[in-house]
Formats: sequence, structure tokens, C-alpha cells
Amino acid sequence: MKKILIADDKATSRELLRTVLERQGYEVMEAADGEEALQKALTELPDLILLDLQMPRRTGYEVLGELRKDPRHAALPIIALTASAMQGDREKALAAGFTGYLAKPVALVHLREEVQRLLQTATDGTDSPAS
Amino acid sequence: MTYQDPSAPGAARHESSLESRYRKLLHAVPDAILEVDQDGRITILNEAAERMFGYTRAELLGLNVDSVVPASMRSGHAEHRASYAAHPKTRPMGTGLELQGQRKDGSLFPVEISLSPNWIEGSLHVIASVRDITERKSVENRLRTLREQYTAELTVKNEQLEARNQEVERANRLKTEFLASMSHELRTPLHTIIGFSELLSEQLEGPLTEKQQRFVGHILQDARHLLELINEVLNISKIESGRLELKPESFDFSQCVEEVMAGIRHQAASKNIQLENQNTFHDSLYADRVRIKEILYNLLNNAVKFTPEGGRVWIGAERQGEGLHISVCDTGIGIPEKEQRSIFEKFYQVGDTTGGVREGTGLGLAITKHLVELHGGAISVASQPGKGSSFRLVLPLIQEQAA
Repeated sequence: MKKILIADDKATSRELLRTVLERQGYEVMEAADGEEALQKALTELPDLILLDLQMPRRTGYEVLGELRKDPRHAALPIIALTASAMQGDREKALAAGFTGYLAKPVALVHLREEVQRLLQTATDGTDSPAS
Repeated sequence: MTYQDPSAPGAARHESSLESRYRKLLHAVPDAILEVDQDGRITILNEAAERMFGYTRAELLGLNVDSVVPASMRSGHAEHRASYAAHPKTRPMGTGLELQGQRKDGSLFPVEISLSPNWIEGSLHVIASVRDITERKSVENRLRTLREQYTAELTVKNEQLEARNQEVERANRLKTEFLASMSHELRTPLHTIIGFSELLSEQLEGPLTEKQQRFVGHILQDARHLLELINEVLNISKIESGRLELKPESFDFSQCVEEVMAGIRHQAASKNIQLENQNTFHDSLYADRVRIKEILYNLLNNAVKFTPEGGRVWIGAERQGEGLHISVCDTGIGIPEKEQRSIFEKFYQVGDTTGGVREGTGLGLAITKHLVELHGGAISVASQPGKGSSFRLVLPLIQEQAA
């Protein structure tokens, strides 16, 4: 079962994402701030992370930066989640190293598609040396 | 020691002689003219010299020229004379220095001096032409004072203007930041409102009664409407603060029309509305492609929205001279004449004539008009209530700048 880490400081948002993703058959873990997200990502080794960009303690960008330093997480699918949705935000996130981008409010169909697509690509693409 | 003064007014016997004419010339000059011998003593002078320095002719003759030099400059003067003797040629004295003369009464006045060598029987005499520049200096000083005053005033005004500019810029930046953070804060709860409504309406957590389904549908629809409003308010604020910049490029206009039509087709089909493309402009257009699509989409979306079941909506475009004329027409409910001007205003909703059509944001046409005008174009409407509306816009056909 694929493991997904949801990092969002809003509990209601985490419950929404968890409900949708568990229904899709994924194992879901939660983190309520950037620091927790980083620790869980390093210890639990999820297959995909949904990372809110604006969180206390560490922003999504900071967490991404830390994770990408670790070779084990260099190719990990990480989706940026943000309610800011200004023009150019998606480009900025992808340029920084995010694998995907979802603007809040997230249409559930997009969420399911994006998660499935990235997990598929990660599996098809390269067999990570660790596995 | 007496000095023969060939320049004395009465010296010449024959007033008509050439020498006498030269002498008159000398005395007619307004500048003081002095000839000084190699020891620095004055040997020849004109009347202007007497007036200028306040000495009589007799007093000046044989007087060391240092006497008419201010005490402060006197010590270096002998040295200057020696250096002039080393390179005797006609030149201004003390270039770049503020020279002064000293009158007999000790008062000082600004002067300009020109020196010329005069060889007399192997000995170097120097002719000094001294100009009293008191008046010029005072005019210069007045001018300088005025200039400094104006410069100071201008500087103050510039600083004030600069401060105001910075304030405006700061206010604009704050406004943008405020809008960005407000938009973020509003979207965050909308994210879960829309998300959970969607979840409920999918009925994966359990079946809903018909009524419950309808209620959840209302929540979803209005939440999406609210989202649309937030997006458009942000959009129009950006346009109004001049932060929306066009990114013009050359693109295939007919393809752009096709794409917009494709985006609206489903909506039209659901109301059984016939959607027609009558575009005859198949060249490339130099404009902001995304914004042109937004303009066309807004107009077509409105047309479909306000056209009853079974009606007709069509888009036409043709080149006329230097302009691209586009029209979006429908057989919809139309707009009363007295409201036709107001529909381009922000938050304007056509009164009671929308006939059950769900409200939009009231910003679509205002944004459309802004976008058309940003492109240097114009938009107008012609409509007959009950018959339909026709929105016409003209975009200038601009050639892409050869970069």
C-alpha cells in the first residue's frame, strides 16, 4: 500500500485530503506543520507528499529544500498545495523542485488524478536504488 | 626719482599727431592700463587707472605696483612677476583666481587682469590691463543666489514629489499584498467548504435524500460562485493598479477562436443552443493570447448564459483596414437601451431582466472592457430586448516589432 504524507496546518484540510485519499486505497499520514512534515518524511519514508506551502515552523519551500538534499528523496513526488494561486505560483513551485502543484480549493477529481499520475510515474520511471 | 610720463594728457605738443591719437585711445579705454618696469614700478598709466585706484597720476607714477595689490596677495606678487618674466607672453593673470585690486583708501574691488610683455631697450616692461568687474561680480552673485535659491526650492519640491511617489508606491504595494493575502485567507476555508461539499455530493460516505443532495448542490454552487468572485476581484484590482501587463505574441487567431468555442460548447449544448463560428480572419494576431481568449470566453459565456433554450449564439471576425472587428451575437433576452452603457461598470447587474438567469460576478464585462482597452481596442454593445444582443469589439492589428 502506497504511503502518502499530508502536511497542512489546517486540520479540516487534512481530514478532507485524508478522506479522499484513503478512499483511493492509500495509507495516509499527517503533519500539522513544516517541522513535523520534515521529520515524518525522513522517518516514515512516504511514497508521496502533499505539502502546503504556508505552514508554521517551516514553509513548504524549506521542507522541500531539506528533503531534496537527501538522495533518498531526490525523486520523491512532492505536490505543492497552496491557496495563494497568484499568477506564476505554479511555475515558481515547479522550478523550485516540486513535482506537482494543486491550487486550493482543490477539485477532488484533480487531486485524485494528480496523486495517481505522480505515483504511477514514480513507479514506472526509475527503480530507486534503495528498493 | 622722476619719471618722464609720455602718456600724460598734456605731453604731446602736436595734438593731431599719430602719437596724440594713440594717447587719446589709451585714455578712452574704460579699463585701467598700467605699464610696469622690471622693478615693478609704474611707468605709464591712463586716466581710468587714476579713477579706479583713487590715486592721482603723480602718485601712481613710480609707485610700486604692489601698492595696488591687496596686502593678502602682496607677498606672492613679486614671485608672480618673476615667473611672468621667465615666460613673457600675452595672457590673463592669475587664471582661476579671484583677483582683487586695492584703492588708495585701502578698499578692495574685484578685477580681471590681462598681461602683455613690452620690451623697452632690452628690458622687460609689462603692460597690465585691469578691468574692474565689481558690477559683473555683483550680477553674477545675484544670479548665483537666485540659482541657488531656485535649486534649493526645486530640491525641496523634488524631495516632496519623491516622498509622495514612494508613498503611492508603498500604498500600491500594500494594496497588492493585502489582496494577495486576503485572497489566500478566503480560499483556505473555501477549499474545505467546496471539498467537503463535493465529498458529500459524491455520496461515498452514505446516500443523501434528494433534498439533501439539492442542498449540498446549492452550497457547492454558491461556494464556487464565491471563488469566482474572489478571482475576479483580484483580477480587476490588478488591472486597475496597472499591475496587469500584457504579454503580446503572434498567434493563430482562428485556432484561438476554436479553443474558446470548445470551452463553451458543452454549456451551449446543454441548453440546446446553436453555436456558430463565422470567423473569416485566418491570419496571425499580435496580442496577449491568454487575455484575448479571456475576452472571447467572457462574451460567449454571457451570450450562452442569457440566451434561452434553443437559441443561437455566433461569433464573427473580419479584417477592416487596420482593425480586427469581432462580434459576439445571440438571440437572447437582450439589454434595455438605458442599461447598455452601465453593463460595463463594475458589479453592475442588469436589473430585473436577467429572467431567472443565475447571477454572475458583475465583473466579467468590466474586466473584458479593461482587457480590450489595454490592447488599444474598443468595445460596444447593440441590443434589443427580447431579440438578442451583439457585442462588437475592434482590436488594432499591430505588427510584431522586429526585435
